[in-house]
Amino acid sequence: MAVRDDGQGRKRAAAGGGVFAGDGQIHRDLAAVDWAATPLGRPESWPQSLRTAVGILLSSRFPMWMAYGPELTFFCNDAYRRDTLGRKYPWALGRPSREVWTEVWEHSYSRITTVLSTGQATWDEALLLLLERSGYPEETYHTFSYSPLRDDAGTAVGMLCVVSEDTERVIGERRMATLRDLGSDPSVARTEEQMLAFAGRQLTRNPYDLPFTLTYLYDEDGTARLAGRTGLPAGHPAAPARLAAAGDGEGAGDGDGAGDGRPGKDPVWPARQAAAGEPSVVELVGEPFAALPAGAWPLPPTRALVVPLQRQGAGPYGFLVAGLNRYRPLDDATRGFVELVAGHLAAGIGSARSFRAQQRRAEELAELDRAKTAFFSNVSHEFRTPLSLIMGPAEELRAHLAGAGPEVRGELEVIHRNALRLGKLVNTLLDFSRIEAGRMQARYEPADLATLTAELASVFRSAVERAGLAYEVDCPPLAQPVHLDRGMWEKVVLNLLSNALKFTFDGTIRVAVRDERGQAVVTVADTGVGVPGHELPRLFERFHRMENARARSHEGSGIGLALVRELVALHGGTITADSREGEGTVFTVRLPYGHAHLPADALVAGGGGPAVTAVADPFVQEALRWLPEAEPEPEPDAGDRGGGGSGARQRAGAAAGGPFDVVVADDNADMRGYLTRLLRGAGHRVRAVGDGRAALEAVRADPPDLLVADVMMPRLDGLRTVAALRAAPRTASVPVLMLSARAGQEASVEGLEAGADDYLVKPFSAAELLARVRATVELARLRSHHARWRRALTDAMQEAFFVCDGQGAVVEVNAAFTRMLGFGPEDLPYPAVPPWWPAREAEPEAYRQVADAFGALVEQGAGTHTLPVRHREGHRLWVSASLARVHDPDSGRSMVVGTFRDVTAERYAVRRESAVAALSLRLSRAGSTAQALDGALEELCGLWRAGSGVAAVFPAAGPPQVTAWGAPAAWDALDGGLREALTALRDGPRLAPYADGRGGVGVGLEHPRGPMAVWLGLGAGRPFTDRDGTLLSLLAGHLAQGLARAFQIDQQRETALALQRAILGPAALPAGFAVRYEPAARPLEVGGDWYDTVALADGRIGIVVGDCVGRGLQAAAVMGQLRSACRALLLQDPRPDRVLLALDRFAADLPGAGSTTVFCGVLDPGSGRLAYSSAGHPPGVLVGPDGATRLLDQGRSTPLAVRGRSGTRPYAQDVVPARALLLLYTDGLVERRRRPLSEGVERAGATLREGRHTGTRELAALVMERMAPPDGYDDDVALLLYRSPAPLEVDFPAEAGRLAPVRRQLREWLDRCELPAQTVQNVLVAAGEACANAVEHGHRDAPGGTVRLRAEARADRLYLSVADSGRWKPPEPEAAPHRGRGLALMRALMQHVTVTPGAGGTTVAMDTRTAP
Amino acid sequence: MTTPLTFTSYVRADGVSVLVATGEVDLSNSADFAAATDAALAGAAGRLLVDLRGVEYLDSAGLNELLIRAGRLEIVAGTLLAPLLTISGITELTTVYGLTGGGPTGVVAPWAAEPPA
Repeated sequence: MAVRDDGQGRKRAAAGGGVFAGDGQIHRDLAAVDWAATPLGRPESWPQSLRTAVGILLSSRFPMWMAYGPELTFFCNDAYRRDTLGRKYPWALGRPSREVWTEVWEHSYSRITTVLSTGQATWDEALLLLLERSGYPEETYHTFSYSPLRDDAGTAVGMLCVVSEDTERVIGERRMATLRDLGSDPSVARTEEQMLAFAGRQLTRNPYDLPFTLTYLYDEDGTARLAGRTGLPAGHPAAPARLAAAGDGEGAGDGDGAGDGRPGKDPVWPARQAAAGEPSVVELVGEPFAALPAGAWPLPPTRALVVPLQRQGAGPYGFLVAGLNRYRPLDDATRGFVELVAGHLAAGIGSARSFRAQQRRAEELAELDRAKTAFFSNVSHEFRTPLSLIMGPAEELRAHLAGAGPEVRGELEVIHRNALRLGKLVNTLLDFSRIEAGRMQARYEPADLATLTAELASVFRSAVERAGLAYEVDCPPLAQPVHLDRGMWEKVVLNLLSNALKFTFDGTIRVAVRDERGQAVVTVADTGVGVPGHELPRLFERFHRMENARARSHEGSGIGLALVRELVALHGGTITADSREGEGTVFTVRLPYGHAHLPADALVAGGGGPAVTAVADPFVQEALRWLPEAEPEPEPDAGDRGGGGSGARQRAGAAAGGPFDVVVADDNADMRGYLTRLLRGAGHRVRAVGDGRAALEAVRADPPDLLVADVMMPRLDGLRTVAALRAAPRTASVPVLMLSARAGQEASVEGLEAGADDYLVKPFSAAELLARVRATVELARLRSHHARWRRALTDAMQEAFFVCDGQGAVVEVNAAFTRMLGFGPEDLPYPAVPPWWPAREAEPEAYRQVADAFGALVEQGAGTHTLPVRHREGHRLWVSASLARVHDPDSGRSMVVGTFRDVTAERYAVRRESAVAALSLRLSRAGSTAQALDGALEELCGLWRAGSGVAAVFPAAGPPQVTAWGAPAAWDALDGGLREALTALRDGPRLAPYADGRGGVGVGLEHPRGPMAVWLGLGAGRPFTDRDGTLLSLLAGHLAQGLARAFQIDQQRETALALQRAILGPAALPAGFAVRYEPAARPLEVGGDWYDTVALADGRIGIVVGDCVGRGLQAAAVMGQLRSACRALLLQDPRPDRVLLALDRFAADLPGAGSTTVFCGVLDPGSGRLAYSSAGHPPGVLVGPDGATRLLDQGRSTPLAVRGRSGTRPYAQDVVPARALLLLYTDGLVERRRRPLSEGVERAGATLREGRHTGTRELAALVMERMAPPDGYDDDVALLLYRSPAPLEVDFPAEAGRLAPVRRQLREWLDRCELPAQTVQNVLVAAGEACANAVEHGHRDAPGGTVRLRAEARADRLYLSVADSGRWKPPEPEAAPHRGRGLALMRALMQHVTVTPGAGGTTVAMDTRTAP
Repeated sequence: MTTPLTFTSYVRADGVSVLVATGEVDLSNSADFAAATDAALAGAAGRLLVDLRGVEYLDSAGLNELLIRAGRLEIVAGTLLAPLLTISGITELTTVYGLTGGGPTGVVAPWAAEPPA
């Protein structure tokens, strides 16, 4: 190895012709290889492509290796040596790759074959390789790409591999998946066995990290019982069914047949240590571990980790034994993983056990309910006796104790009132059952219906008036009596009145009797809340009660109206109801006269008797209790409550059993008072309210320990009160004990579904109420403990987890969610369109995706989607979202739960894989370095969604050449910071990506013309990860290769063009003409197309455009001869038809000249007259100033030398109008496969029309560009464009005497332009002024200069310029006031005037519209 | 080569002095134009009528000569020069006849009936 000093004290390896220049160990080691002995030979002889590839390799900091040449000789760089090669270094350098990678050659060789045969790069993500680099075979994962290396001819002869290691990520994701699976059990509550079986199934799915597991649970006596196992068969010696008591110490396992079978020795697993809560590692040596399963690996585990299943506040439930993957070290990550698995199991066991306890209790309660229901249904008829025994003595006591204290009288009143009420209820029920059984004993007597009804009505007067209602009783006497059972009629009228009072809050109650069509009619009308239409048909149904109706009370059995209907029916009458919601209700009873409709044996003679009996009393008493004034509110003791917040204080410190803060809500004042007394008596603090709304307010004001609420309450019933409490986070956890008179399973389920914690049916004993109050409060405390535990569980989940309520608002997120998206629980709840959704306006497509996914839940219930979301910091994440609609068992509401898994990396990996392919394709199709660079830059920007991309090439001389996408394409126009960054990349190592941390990334690489720097502007906040870096490096490598290849094409192309131009066309074109020649994009060769112009003696111009068959040098030679011949013929005889005829003869003798197509024309530029003839050539196109387009399709005949040597050719004459365009071309311009030629011609015409206002040369370029197929022209194209008249160009000496002749020339030219006279005059004056100025000012101090006048007429615009070689003096108004007038005139006469002074003279440019 | 420009002057029957210019006026001969106008002014009894209907081209140099004498002459011109004369502002300094295309030239034109002020 030759070493020289570079003069700065640094040693450089100079061997190998500088290929290995560099100061690293790798450079020296590479230089030391005996390359002559390899198929590649000495480095000095290596092709440029190999040297470039080695250069890329060595300068990169990413791990790379490459294989090159017939034996795939191995190279690698320093990073690869360090990360992967290990001990094979430096032995591997220069060896065949097959020898270097024998152990993984199977993987490598197939990929290399693919790369070499298809030229496409491979991409392997996270491939498993067992590497021996740490002293044992180690499970590793690598992501790598093989991309082809091409030799100088473009053939793939090797490959370059870029590698990055993924081991941590792959294993981490695998473990995360297992933890996620463990947490994914859809069933919330189940048995311990089910939970363990589910967990077992999940653990079995990860045989990599957990080749086997055993779960032992401690029984009460301390024995450890095998409760779950994965990977091991039943009865395996390593999995004994029982391990002796954890506390037994040395005596473990003795005497028990199911023990570990090793009496006197240590048990198989350290159960005792685990019971103490300590994890331990067990080396798996010895007899029980002889035949362990290997899991996913070739060999079984050598160690197991024993981890206790921790229980909060007590000893562990048991322990988990996890057999460990022998191909991974037992590091913190592994320990942490096993501990998390154990944590999941422990949590599951805890939840299953507490569920079992709750279930047991629920069953006991249900049994109690059943017994009670049976009891009540059996004994209801027994009520009457005890009731009368209560009422009688109570009445007597009232009389005896008339003089007693108010408290005693108050208690007696309560007893009396409620005994009355109960009696009424029981009577009604008994009446009803009698009717049902047909045992009703009626006694019909003729009665004065009007009087009787009026008397009954009067009973209610005081109650109605106390309610603030008007009361109208209109009962005129009827002509004849009606047969009635007085007792029944009393119930009819009282029930209807009681009903009216209950539902009427203001207005009137009206009772009327009248005769109508032979029937007696009684109406009871109110102006109350009314009955909704859909309720009307069920109004008279038994036990039907209107839900949610506003009423004075919700007391009642729902049987009153049903009874009324039955009673009326017994009288042979009918009852109907007519009602409007919000307006009132009218009940109409119709009774027939006479007695024919009644059973004869039930008729009695009229006996008179009192209209109102004792039956009325309970009705009125009850009604009065609904009215506010009647309420003897049991006064809550104000001292009890103390200041606000006492509830919270007491709650926090309350020991089991109270005292508690209780809110009591019941609309029945007696019940309210009774509950209050009862609870206060037990030491609790009570606030009593009369309805649900007041209860809600009381709870919100200061959340109590418990709410005791009746189901039936006015304003807001109990069920809805609970629902409202549960909906607000502040009150959601307040336990509720529901009271109701409605017995039965269904009613309690309804209450519990609404969110009540317990349900108590009236009547109840004081002891039962107090016990339930205590139990409910304690259970709620237990539940909040569960809520905390559940919180810990969800936070332990590796996936982001969230819960949405029924309205879609996000009400819960876990810790992983916050880590992933940046949104934490502190801002809960989040709205239904939470901030992590893509913005609706900015990203409508992404927004729609997310909205659709959630919308689909309504129909499908569950789904998994890959969705774009936004991190709090603004960057985009892709998540795999599992969403499910679930029924919340607590509230009965429908909710959405979901998990997010971050798949951003995976998604981008897929995108990138396709990006490598896309870039390779772009590069392989590029016909030039410029195209390659343009395409590549677009791909790069697209891939990273960069707002801008800039590539700067730094040639040896001259300024940097900039290609840009979304940024200015000129070095000087670039931002200063960007210029610095690009320059830094130029001077830095090749293919080493650099990110500036502010959203800009760049990479340096080699462009054939010099170092190149690529810079992408990703925008702030966009992360650029290591994986992005790897990819950018890889793509930059591809780009460098692609550019080198495209550069070769560039060079070939330039050679071909130079050759063609040497053969083609006149050096100087006549004025007014523009030409273009473009060789076919590929294959790149000289062609047979040509154009020519010939200046004829009389001022006319010969025009030729031709196309020889074929291409290549042969065709070019034929073309050259035909062109020369045509030129000579035109000069000799300027008749196009005769020229072509002569050319026919010439071509017949010239091999390869047959079938050439030629257009030959002779143009008089003065008059625009054009004579032409076409030998099979596509027609010329003529476009007038107004856009009128026609084809020069006359004078046509066959291509050259097709018809032999004789005959004539046709000939046509036409005129090119003033300011018109003439286009001649070869067929390559317009011919497209599978498209008619006329379509191309039409398109060419359209392009001319569109561009008829532009200059001839620009227009020619535009036509070429517009007509070009996407991949470039596939045939040669020659194009000749002429605009009539040719622009005028006059140079004249700067003398005043020259002005008039110049003016004359201009006038003649303007006449040829066929412009309006006034326009001509304006242009003349403006031009004259400019010329005069040039003469007068420009050359005042320097006579002898020249002035140049140029005029050009386009379709509807005229352009003038006057340039002098002197210097204009600015006008000096005081010296010569008229001097500035010339410029003013120009400005007045022309539309645009610009004066551009310069060192070499001044130019005045003017233009004006010429069309009228 | 000089720019073609000829002058004729006469006194009309109503006593108005008229100078008729024919040809083109530009930088090269504006001095001649000025001299001829001055001579006609010297011989005129009142204001001079300069007839430009035969002038095919008039540039700012010629215009300038008219402008500095505008107080002493009136102009008759054809529509060809109308934009130029209007733009130059001379129509605000003196009377310019015929800009909108007056009567036939040569014989007495409508404007001629009015005596110059």
